[in-house]
Amino acid sequence: MARAMRLFAFALLVAIAASVDRNNFKTCDQSSFCRRLRKVEQDNSKYILNLDTLQVSAHSLEADLLNPDATFKFTLTALAGNTFRLFADEIKPLHKRYKVVGALDGEPKLTKLEVLERTKQEVVIKCGDSKVKLIAEPFKIEFYNKDTVVAVVNARGLFTIEHLRVKPQEQADGNEELPKEDPGAWEENFKSHHDSKPRGPEALAMDVTFPGAIRAYGLPEHADHLALRSTGPGATDPYRLYNLDVFEYELETTMAIYGAVPVLYAHGPENTVGVFWHNSAETWVDISNSKDTNVVSSIVNLVSGKKDENKVDAHFMSESGVLDVFVMLGPKPADVVKQYAALTGVAPLPQYFTFGYHQCRWNYNDEDDVKNVVEKFDEGDFPLDVMWLDIEYTDGKKYFTWDPVKFSHSTVMLNNLTATGRKLVAIIDPHVKRESGYFLHEDALNNDYYVKDKDGKVFEGWCWPGSSSYPDFFDPTVVDYYSNLYSLDKFKGSTENLYIWNDMNEPSVFNGPEITMGKDMVHYGNWEHRHVHNLYGLYYTMVTMKGLQARSPNKRPFILTRAFFAGSQRYAAMWTGDNAAEWSHLAISYPMCLSVALGGISFCGADIGGFFHNPDPELLLRWYQVATWLPFFRAHAHIDTKRREPYLYGSDVQMRIRNALKLRYAHLPMWYTQFWEHSRTGEPVIRPLFYEFPEDSNVLDIDNQVLIGKSVMATAVSQHSASSASVYLPGGSEQLWYDLSDFKSYTGSGYITYPVNLDKIPVFYMGGSIVSRKDRPRRASSLMHDDPYTLYVSLDNNKSATGTLYIDDSESYEYKKKKYLYIRFNYKDNTLTNSFIDQDAKYPTLSWLERVVVLGASNNFRYATLKTPKGEDTILQVSYDSEGRSLIIRKPGVSMREKFTITLH
Amino acid sequence: MMPSIPKLPAKSYVLCILLIVVCEISTSEVPRPRGVPLSHNPLYNPAKDFVCLDNSLSIPFSQVNDDYCDCPDASDEPGTSACIHGTFFCMNVGHTSTYISSSRVNDGICDCCDGTDEYVKGKCANNCQELGQSAMKEAARQSELLKAGKQIRASMCEMGIKLKAEKKDKLVIFAAQKIEAEKIMREKEQIKKNIEELESAALEQYRQIEEENKRIKQEEENKKNRQEAEDTFVRFDSNKDGIVEVSELQSLHTFDRDRNGEVTVEEAKYFLNSKDSMSLEDFVVEAWPAMKPFLMLDEGLYKPPQPAGVGEVEEVPINGEEPTTEAEFEEEGVNEEEDEEDEEHPEEEEEHEETNPEVTYDEETQNLIEKATAARSEFTEADQSVRDIQSEITKIEEYLNKDFGPDEAFAPLEGECFDYMDYEYIYRLCPFDKATQQQKSGSSDTRLGSWSKWSNQNYDAMLYDRGQSCWNGPQRSTTVAISCGSENKLTSVSEPNRCEYHFTFETPAACYKATTEGIKDIHDEL
Repeated sequence: MARAMRLFAFALLVAIAASVDRNNFKTCDQSSFCRRLRKVEQDNSKYILNLDTLQVSAHSLEADLLNPDATFKFTLTALAGNTFRLFADEIKPLHKRYKVVGALDGEPKLTKLEVLERTKQEVVIKCGDSKVKLIAEPFKIEFYNKDTVVAVVNARGLFTIEHLRVKPQEQADGNEELPKEDPGAWEENFKSHHDSKPRGPEALAMDVTFPGAIRAYGLPEHADHLALRSTGPGATDPYRLYNLDVFEYELETTMAIYGAVPVLYAHGPENTVGVFWHNSAETWVDISNSKDTNVVSSIVNLVSGKKDENKVDAHFMSESGVLDVFVMLGPKPADVVKQYAALTGVAPLPQYFTFGYHQCRWNYNDEDDVKNVVEKFDEGDFPLDVMWLDIEYTDGKKYFTWDPVKFSHSTVMLNNLTATGRKLVAIIDPHVKRESGYFLHEDALNNDYYVKDKDGKVFEGWCWPGSSSYPDFFDPTVVDYYSNLYSLDKFKGSTENLYIWNDMNEPSVFNGPEITMGKDMVHYGNWEHRHVHNLYGLYYTMVTMKGLQARSPNKRPFILTRAFFAGSQRYAAMWTGDNAAEWSHLAISYPMCLSVALGGISFCGADIGGFFHNPDPELLLRWYQVATWLPFFRAHAHIDTKRREPYLYGSDVQMRIRNALKLRYAHLPMWYTQFWEHSRTGEPVIRPLFYEFPEDSNVLDIDNQVLIGKSVMATAVSQHSASSASVYLPGGSEQLWYDLSDFKSYTGSGYITYPVNLDKIPVFYMGGSIVSRKDRPRRASSLMHDDPYTLYVSLDNNKSATGTLYIDDSESYEYKKKKYLYIRFNYKDNTLTNSFIDQDAKYPTLSWLERVVVLGASNNFRYATLKTPKGEDTILQVSYDSEGRSLIIRKPGVSMREKFTITLH
Repeated sequence: MMPSIPKLPAKSYVLCILLIVVCEISTSEVPRPRGVPLSHNPLYNPAKDFVCLDNSLSIPFSQVNDDYCDCPDASDEPGTSACIHGTFFCMNVGHTSTYISSSRVNDGICDCCDGTDEYVKGKCANNCQELGQSAMKEAARQSELLKAGKQIRASMCEMGIKLKAEKKDKLVIFAAQKIEAEKIMREKEQIKKNIEELESAALEQYRQIEEENKRIKQEEENKKNRQEAEDTFVRFDSNKDGIVEVSELQSLHTFDRDRNGEVTVEEAKYFLNSKDSMSLEDFVVEAWPAMKPFLMLDEGLYKPPQPAGVGEVEEVPINGEEPTTEAEFEEEGVNEEEDEEDEEHPEEEEEHEETNPEVTYDEETQNLIEKATAARSEFTEADQSVRDIQSEITKIEEYLNKDFGPDEAFAPLEGECFDYMDYEYIYRLCPFDKATQQQKSGSSDTRLGSWSKWSNQNYDAMLYDRGQSCWNGPQRSTTVAISCGSENKLTSVSEPNRCEYHFTFETPAACYKATTEGIKDIHDEL
């Protein structure tokens, strides 16, 4: 046994030595259902919609869908927000097919539909500006925005649902009737792992063609560019969605990693259409983009004078489940993303501190270590909000316990942190150490809380603690039990200022197939792991959310997760997992977070500095500068790396990191306001350029630039010794952009070469925006709660601007009782005014208006006047900077809860 | 954008204790803007406009401390958080006055012990008195400690200097001994050389006979091989046309190298040196040497040599074992180094002992051999004696080259070891030698580093490196922070980075200068 353990530890070690071991993970060819579905013959669909059976109700159509072997019930439902739901299940299935529970944010809102035409061969319905045409034979569905077809389901005839069947007897006489089945249809091996597949084949697939689309986006999580590449048999593997703990993941591949959001956006200048493939089983998606296929056809078209038709083809393939698909018709990127948010929900407003700086390391050794690090941050004047503890704080990797020597006074440690306004986040992972006497393990064994293997025995895998089992979070009893572990009397040594990091929740099983749980393990309700795999991480964070809300009913929880699924935004922030201290990994952080944000999860970040290996000082300071403009702002490092806290570097590196941190802290009101707005509208906080400039064909592939709302645009500098950066300024000559470092103005006329040095990366305020800042960075964000605001008014071409600011108590749910201020600022005709968007909402803020900085103002103003409803008019001093680029209005001094008008003269 | 404020001393000491009352009166009697040190108070005159201390701007006095930053040097806001580069003066009557960053003014946290950095009255307790008193006590304790430490240090220095002198004396003695020993060694070497010349001449004729025997044997061997080649050629040349062709080889399963049951043209050609056919002469020269092992293999006469690496893999089929072997190698490596030192002078004479046991020598020769052997042994002895002395000299020289700090204060620590126990390990520091770690339950040491050098010129940190390698990590190393203490004591151990240890060590040897200054000031003021 000891030897076996040693060998096992060693197998891990070997993995550590190199980068990703591709052999640990399946290709489409090594996955039976992917093989089967990719082989389906094109343009020869056997599926027929029997329109004789058509039934029409107020919101939906229903009809039988047939293939030569089985009959399905097909439903099309019209949903609010230009969205349609396609649903198909077997009429008399041998076993129930799995239907995803937990991804949707409640039942989608229905809307009325109207039948326009009905013949034997087709039915056309209308819903607002959209039309849907159902074609009977072969089965096909066309979606129209007004009269333009924007999506066609089963255009290529790849639609497939494998009905559940009895396993054919292995007849000795050799049966001629049975079609030749894929060798992996009824059982499958991968490396040394066997999948018994008790239900046999039950896969499903659907192709969608998007006429007019020129790019496809979405399908996170992949360590790849934002715009999806073309895939196909013999070339690139399909994009794979199967939550996996991939050691030292590779960049620019379609391999699966930790999270999965099966939403795809097809984007063209006129229409952006989304498809949400509501399926939690292993999924592969082939993408074919007309821009990448066949140069020949475009030449032919050129010769023949035919217009080159842009399109994107997608082919969704899943191992099991019912067919459940949402088609969202946009028509603009913002519309589609909001339609998706209407289905899967939004991130509830996080606490203010969560946007501050997080300092993590595997591991801070003990309580003294934590204390010293915080002291060094204070000595070096580096703002810091949250200290993090990785797995070593536990007593032998038993979660909900503390190391009895190194962390024996955890509440003292926690109170020391809160004494300077800080918080603590500790890791809690789903695997449970199988150690007799460990209460969690005993409880789980005694009450039957664990996931079982195919024979009904408790599943045993290997993870950090050694031999481990995995609670079944699909069981409501387990949810109740486990969430209660977060209560203060259960999690001894914790306080209300402890927040939670959920890692390894793919789930990671070191000795399992593809480092996860075998697909024939059994969950609550007798569902196999194959049916629910991609949901495990989401359910785990849901449990944590429940636990933290019960523990602290009036404090908003903070949870960080590695695995995620559609809907995870409702529970947790995510990060891009175990990246590396390499420039390429810094570069991929923007595309990865942008993709995840389009997938509904805006609260995204990448480990600053890179998790594996040691960054050189330049890479580290650049990483801080770049990460300043992503929502989740945390540094983290592997246990084998050298310490890299900012105070350990030379004074110039320290100064630059300090400046990045302070710039972040100045912008915290902006992040907070953006997340407030996300929680109301579902719009992503960070946006790729195509989102705001959908008609600009130059921005389609730009993913090293990120927009924060409609106010800031940052460009990542991810090259060693860069002296310049290429920045695309969108919007045309009417659009103004202001350099954040010197307020120089530019127009949105395309690419510029922007000189950079180690002090900065290119960051611009968008003309027409008003950004609220707190320009007095302190040790921790909580200490800035009452500090005054400075407004940065960036004028547009018409000398006007607008922006919003959200203020509340930063931590509680009182905002649900209308205890907040949601302010709109408008600048027009030399006058700045404010108004309250929700007039019935009030918050007694102590913050006031310290300063107004106007960018792009004419240079002849001498003074300003301040009017408030109560007070007299006050004269305010104004001044310009030496270059005349910014005008500063001195100390209006008015409370942020007062209405005011400030006019320049 | 903000020019930095003029540098102020980090700390200034207020004369208090007996003057508390006066201080309090003075603070209440002399009104000053919040956060301004008394020394700067005259610059803040409410009757006049305020001029920024860098003279950059003049502003109405009402704008001083109005929570808006006007002066680029932050001087108009000494008592608020408005200027990002400003400082706030904590008078801290009863304790040490300090400056804090403006960012800590009125942030809800009490930073000054007099509580003046927070605006809300009663928010912060004034605990300067207690802190001041305990600081005084602590200073007094430190001072005592230092005094005691200094005394011990003086005796350590004395001992260090003495030790060094002793070593130097020894060095002189050994140097003389070495000259004498070298003389003897050279004499013995000459005797050995003379007798070996005779011995060599006598052995020469025997060597010739041996070589002739070898040659004859080789010729017979070659002949046999050629015959074998010719026989094989004839056997392979199935159509008897005097040429061996590819097709003829293809019928022979011996040449099926990939064991797929078929001898391909490529396989056959491989044995014919890529040619289609071969005459007898070419066959013997070009084809036979490649073919022979395969034919022997076929007959079970021959096992192909295995590359060392392959063999290892077979013995240790699981990669899992590698780190262990690596670690072993490393440990062996260390030993090897030591061995190498011993082998620095390869013993040339060894070749003479390769006497062929089969040969019997005549009496005279035998006699010579015996004499030569005796001479060699005497020389070896003399040589060893030189080396022993040299080794002593080297040791002393190494010692003398070691930097034991100013006045040789640290010298008495050499040869001693100090332990620190935490709940799992016993850590041991042997200054100028090594740092180790031992599991409480176990017995074997892990070397955390060998003495390398002082980390800087202040003699307050030592580096021990080249320790045992970590599992999948770097070689262990240890830094030792040295501070003044009344006795030699290892006071703490931590591992801030994996395999990088940090010890703190107190010793009277470190009780000098730097530490004294701060304490002296207070005493002087008293």
